[in-house]
Amino acid sequence: MPLDIVVCVKWVPNTQIVNIDPRTGTLIREGVPSIINPHDLNAVEFGLTLKDSYGGRLTAIAMSPPSAKAGLEFLIGMGVDRAILITDRVFAGADTLATSYVLAKAIERLMPTDLIIFGQETIDSSTAHICAQTASWLKLPYIYYVIDARLEDGKKNIVVKRVLERKIEVFELPLPCLMAIAMKSNVPRPVTLSNKIKAKMENLIEVWNNEMLKLNINCVGLKGSPTVVSKSIPTPVVPRKKLKFEGTDPIEAARWLLDRLAEEGVRVI
Amino acid sequence: MDPPSATKFDVAIVGAGPAGASAAYTLARKGFKVVVLERGRTPGSKNLFGGRVYSHPLELIFEGFKNEAPIERWTKREVLSFVTEEGIVSVEYASGSSTSFTAYLSKLSAWMASKAESAGAILVTDVRVDDILMENGKAVGIVSGGDRLYADVVVIAEGVNRLLCERRNITPQLSPEEVALGVKHVIRLGTDKINDRFGLDSNEGLAWFLIGKVTDYLPGGAFLYTNSTTVSLGIVVFLSHAMKKVKRHIYEVLEDLRTSPPFTRLLEGGSLVEYGSHLTPEAGLKMMPKKLYGDGFLIVGDAAGLLINLGYTVRGVDLAAFSGYLAAEAIEEAHSLGSYTSHNLSCYERKLNDSFVMKEMKRHDSVQKLMSKSHIFELYPQVLVGTTKRLFEFEEASPKLLEAAKESLKGKGSKFKMLLDAITLMRGP
Ligand SMILES: Cc1cc2nc3c(=O)[nH]c(=O)nc-3n(C[C@H](O)[C@H](O)[C@H](O)COP(=O)(O)OP(=O)(O)OC[C@H]3O[C@@H](n4cnc5c(N)ncnc54)[C@H](O)[C@@H]3O)c2cc1C
Ligand SMILES: Cc1cc2nc3c(=O)[nH]c(=O)nc-3n(C[C@H](O)[C@H](O)[C@H](O)COP(=O)(O)OP(=O)(O)OC[C@H]3O[C@@H](n4cnc5c(N)ncnc54)[C@H](O)[C@@H]3O)c2cc1C
Repeated sequence: MPLDIVVCVKWVPNTQIVNIDPRTGTLIREGVPSIINPHDLNAVEFGLTLKDSYGGRLTAIAMSPPSAKAGLEFLIGMGVDRAILITDRVFAGADTLATSYVLAKAIERLMPTDLIIFGQETIDSSTAHICAQTASWLKLPYIYYVIDARLEDGKKNIVVKRVLERKIEVFELPLPCLMAIAMKSNVPRPVTLSNKIKAKMENLIEVWNNEMLKLNINCVGLKGSPTVVSKSIPTPVVPRKKLKFEGTDPIEAARWLLDRLAEEGVRVI
Repeated sequence: MDPPSATKFDVAIVGAGPAGASAAYTLARKGFKVVVLERGRTPGSKNLFGGRVYSHPLELIFEGFKNEAPIERWTKREVLSFVTEEGIVSVEYASGSSTSFTAYLSKLSAWMASKAESAGAILVTDVRVDDILMENGKAVGIVSGGDRLYADVVVIAEGVNRLLCERRNITPQLSPEEVALGVKHVIRLGTDKINDRFGLDSNEGLAWFLIGKVTDYLPGGAFLYTNSTTVSLGIVVFLSHAMKKVKRHIYEVLEDLRTSPPFTRLLEGGSLVEYGSHLTPEAGLKMMPKKLYGDGFLIVGDAAGLLINLGYTVRGVDLAAFSGYLAAEAIEEAHSLGSYTSHNLSCYERKLNDSFVMKEMKRHDSVQKLMSKSHIFELYPQVLVGTTKRLFEFEEASPKLLEAAKESLKGKGSKFKMLLDAITLMRGP
């Protein structure tokens, strides 16, 4: 029974090298190379595995600046069938409410679909809100931390396993539904050459803007975002003292080290 | 194996370095259906070099090169220094005009690849080619993971570490004698500090080479190039010597250099923004494959051994790019003859021989041989610095030049040999 699956992915700055703007308290995203949110690769792999078992089609969607095209090409390289880049200046500066609204409206255009999957959370904001909020807009059931899914009863229901710390729960959900895949729960497959060439040669990435979606501009982007950053506390920078123990005796070295720590107020008991 | 990719190309190029990108650009402009396969995530991400490129060959290949390419500074000052524990003696050449510029190879390769893409080539990154696909002794495509991709001709532009050529017995395995190892820091200083400390205008670049103590007197040398806001500082050592004589990790040699005068002062306040290492061919003509072409394939750039390495300076980007360009011309010629047989592709070798590439390779071959001898890197600095020291550091009687030279040459071999070496050296770039 073929499945029509949609996977939502976010194009995120590689947060290992990102800084916080000390004035506004928000991430400085400019000039930082972006990647597909690593946890979303688990969602893509999850979708591809389902497609391998039941057949069907996997569509990736991302709301992002145009540069995400490179990331979507990468996903087509993994085996995603087509991708939709939702991009428009009016969508910029969105919080989770505005983001999920746009995603929900885009998913509505793609209906009927059987399953909409998400990563668990992102590495640049990690609210883990988007799956739940999108489901609320769509008025569909959702479930988080999924590690396995199997079709039951023809195509009407799906049986999923989800992890809660040390517990695994089994649920049955009606289709269509939304699910967020537990991060690190599988190994995303590598890209293949023929898929990458497909990504380059066939037009598999559609670009949708607001001329097409026609969403109320008061509900999207910065205008549609009630979230404010009230305060952000940067981690203090501790300058290195660059002290060096010059002796050779290990006992002396340990004593020296403890003395230095004591000077910093560290007590060893 | 999966079924072969549905798309077939006229030409498949392995590697998006200067050689591969130039071949792709030229072929795409001639109307060939070209695919370039690069294992790096982006073109340029796997490429590293010292820092200076000779411009003219690139201007011939790429339209709009001088205006569009990511050029940092035009090199207008050249300094060659001899370094010992006692001091430094430097020779400087400064000029109003310039034929070379400083650059980041990562940016330059990325630019070349983007030109190839705009000309119509398909660039696929993040894929490693595992093998050349051969049928009846003829290259018919490439293999990557479980995928096969067919093409009428394969251009091998895989760089110095030519694993594909080795796998197909086109070249023997590399030996340490044939390669040198480069290690490099990129240090951000800002335009003003660079201009002040190195005595440059914003558009003027410095190329500075040092030999002697900088590599613990091993064959090789150190280099410093000024970019717009950063400085590239590195060393190159011939691998066979390094393996035998360097008792510590090679990066420590560079670290020592960076933290010794005059560099401590010149680089003060700088921050390390990049650190890298790469092999480079050093054996000159000896490292070239016997044939640079065969049925259905051509070899270009570093993979073909087309590089001039004088120990303290390496020149390969322009040779690599131009060999890619000539390979494209050869493919066009073979195409007009109706097939890509070894015979029809042999015009590649003729084109190389007629171009500056082989002429330069041959002209520098004796210099390269000389540079792999260790005495140059020990004797020259010792004698030059020794003589100069005796000339200027005295207490009462100032010595005559000849006396000073004689004194510092004591027990250091024949003056005649040194003269011969000097002549060979001067025929360098
Ligand atoms: C306090 C706060 C202030 C913020 N301020 C700003 C701001 O001023 N400007 C700004 O640009 N951002 C801001 N953000 C970030 C913005 O709210 C989120 O990046 C965005 O709404 C998505 O939320 P998330 O990254 O937490 O997603 P999560 O809920 O953690 O993501 C779950 C999953 O949803 C999917 N997903 C998430 N985003 C997308 C997307 N864009 N397209 C497709 N799928 C997606 C992915 O599958 C992902 O794995 C702020 C966030 C917070 C917490
Ligand atoms: C330390 C050092 C300093 C140098 N300094 C200078 C200098 O100042 N000036 C100068 O002109 N030259 C210099 N060179 C030489 C110059 O860098 C090379 O000659 C030049 O880069 C060669 O270009 P190429 O395209 O042949 O190979 P490379 O630039 O090595 O490109 C080869 C490409 O092929 C890719 N590749 C390899 N195998 C595969 C595979 N199996 N599948 C897919 N992709 C593959 C690699 O990722 C790489 O991108 C220096 C070299 C070194 C090491």
